[in-house]
Amino acid sequence: MTNLVGHLLLFGGSVCVLLALPMIVGRLVRPKLPTPEKDAIYECGEPAIGSSYIQFDLRFYVVALLFIIFDVEVAFFFPWAAIYGNATQLADTRLDDAARDHLSARLLDQNPATNEIISAQTARSLAITGFFDLLVFFVVLLVGFAYVWKRGDLDWIRALTQKSKQAADQTVPSHQNTSSVTTTA
Amino acid sequence: MINTLAANSLSDAFDGLSVPLYGQLSSGDALVVAAIIHAVLVFHVFALCPFFLIWLERKGSGRIQDRLGPTRVGGRFGWLQSLADGIKLIQKEDLCPPVADAMLFRSAPYIVCLASFAAFVVLPFSHNWVAVSADCGLFILLSILSLEVFGIIMAGYSSGSKWSLFGGMREAAQMVSYEIPLAICALIPIVSAGSLNLGEIGDMQGGHLGNWFLFHDPFTFVAFFVFFVVLTAGCKRAPFDLAEAESELVGGFHTEYSGMRWSFFFMGEYASMFALCGVAAILFLGGWHTGIPGVDGLLQEWRLKGAESPEFSPLGYLANVIGAGVFVSKAAFGVFVQIWLRWTLPRLRIDQVMITCLKYFVPISCFLFLGATVWPLMWMFATDDGLTSAPFRSPLGNRATHAVSEGTKESSSTPQSSAPAEAPEDNSEAESAATGENTAMAEPITVGMNFSEVRQ
Repeated sequence: MTNLVGHLLLFGGSVCVLLALPMIVGRLVRPKLPTPEKDAIYECGEPAIGSSYIQFDLRFYVVALLFIIFDVEVAFFFPWAAIYGNATQLADTRLDDAARDHLSARLLDQNPATNEIISAQTARSLAITGFFDLLVFFVVLLVGFAYVWKRGDLDWIRALTQKSKQAADQTVPSHQNTSSVTTTA
Repeated sequence: MINTLAANSLSDAFDGLSVPLYGQLSSGDALVVAAIIHAVLVFHVFALCPFFLIWLERKGSGRIQDRLGPTRVGGRFGWLQSLADGIKLIQKEDLCPPVADAMLFRSAPYIVCLASFAAFVVLPFSHNWVAVSADCGLFILLSILSLEVFGIIMAGYSSGSKWSLFGGMREAAQMVSYEIPLAICALIPIVSAGSLNLGEIGDMQGGHLGNWFLFHDPFTFVAFFVFFVVLTAGCKRAPFDLAEAESELVGGFHTEYSGMRWSFFFMGEYASMFALCGVAAILFLGGWHTGIPGVDGLLQEWRLKGAESPEFSPLGYLANVIGAGVFVSKAAFGVFVQIWLRWTLPRLRIDQVMITCLKYFVPISCFLFLGATVWPLMWMFATDDGLTSAPFRSPLGNRATHAVSEGTKESSSTPQSSAPAEAPEDNSEAESAATGENTAMAEPITVGMNFSEVRQ
């Protein structure tokens, strides 16, 4: 822990120092001649209209909310996958004794010297249990995902899609319209 | 120095070393010294990656577009082009528009570089050649790399330009979405490997090509290609470079940047491309193993010899140098493929980028993940002998152990005694790396409890 945190802090510190170095050297050799034209925001040669600190449609915040949940769920999968992989490796009857010792120690989080050994049969039932645990977890997630998909929250231009759906119910569907209307953001 | 090279980790080697003018180094001092050496070494990799890769990108794009690319600087092939670029960039005026939020604007490039550089802490280059061999290395690496997006959003928001704002917001949308398939695809080999330590994952793929996780089962095979496409999008590389999109957003998030500060974004980008391609190489392509049966066996023998002898063994060291070379070539080839894609495919539209992720990559990666999970169970039920992989394969557990125990010999008692102590550390490491996901590491405990029930 201290090792890792120490390394991260030191790496962070050193990269800042080493990046600041060319900036400081540059201060000695680079010009600093600001003009109003140079300081203006780039707007393809036109004067920019209005500030950029404005409210605008984020488009995808529903997706973002959904994906925060997804992200957290995926974070749960990491330790699960490590344990499951360990269990399926142990469930193999062809495993030699040294490997069984080592993997059991890793799975039980024990010192290899005072090791309980996990039999292939036990590991097998652990793997199966683990699989069903995952399935319950994953199915709930996927049902939610399917619901959001069905509701149309995953569409980029949601309002337009819904409108075109309503229009399609009444008249001839016009899907080409929807796909050709795009925005830049 | 000879002792240093033979020791398991640098901090072990420095522990108790007497230094003139200072006295004996305590283990804390040793840790700091080791960390400084790691930082300096890895910074060279971090700085030379963009140096070489930017030249490769220019040369590659030149060739693809039937041009020559750089030819003059440094004689043949213009191989010093990046140095000339660097010198030019240092002399450029450092502009910060008055309407920009100066503090955020100036610090954004540092955040990008910091995130991609810190990811190298847990990235192994060869057997045991890693700054910190963390037991949840993959998890930490992915969570640190995803911090890069904050720098981009900060740059986009603080510039005071609408182009930048759009670029930054697109980047946020893209990164949040593509992280999901990226993480799920990274998990697919883990389901077989049973370890999150990148060093261990790399080690267990030695022997021959068939031992690479790419060929472990059909799901990992497909997962590699999905992973590669998703990591291309994750590095905001074309055809997914919507955050920059020079033909529609001018320069996207870096429109207002100039000189050195602008180039830091690219240092960060190329370094994280290299890091992610390195992860792909470790997870799927055998890491530092060549995949050629005879050669891999020989290198492993050298390593074993090096591990057995208490002193520095040139052969063991050479094996690791070759391993590092193999790993770097694999990662660089991955980056080359990304460059090749960039100059071959047209850019997607932002809605297409999002739909590709949400409606294609997420379901595909979920399917592959479930498939990879079912695979060992399928063998379990299909054969009565209790196999968990194809009968012609050596059991993965054997490979996992012998690759690791070979590392254990190297510093006889350290890993054994530290094994129980390391586990609680991991919990907090994960927490510090990814706040808000602190419950993630509670899972092993629950499974462990399950497990004891099963035993009774």
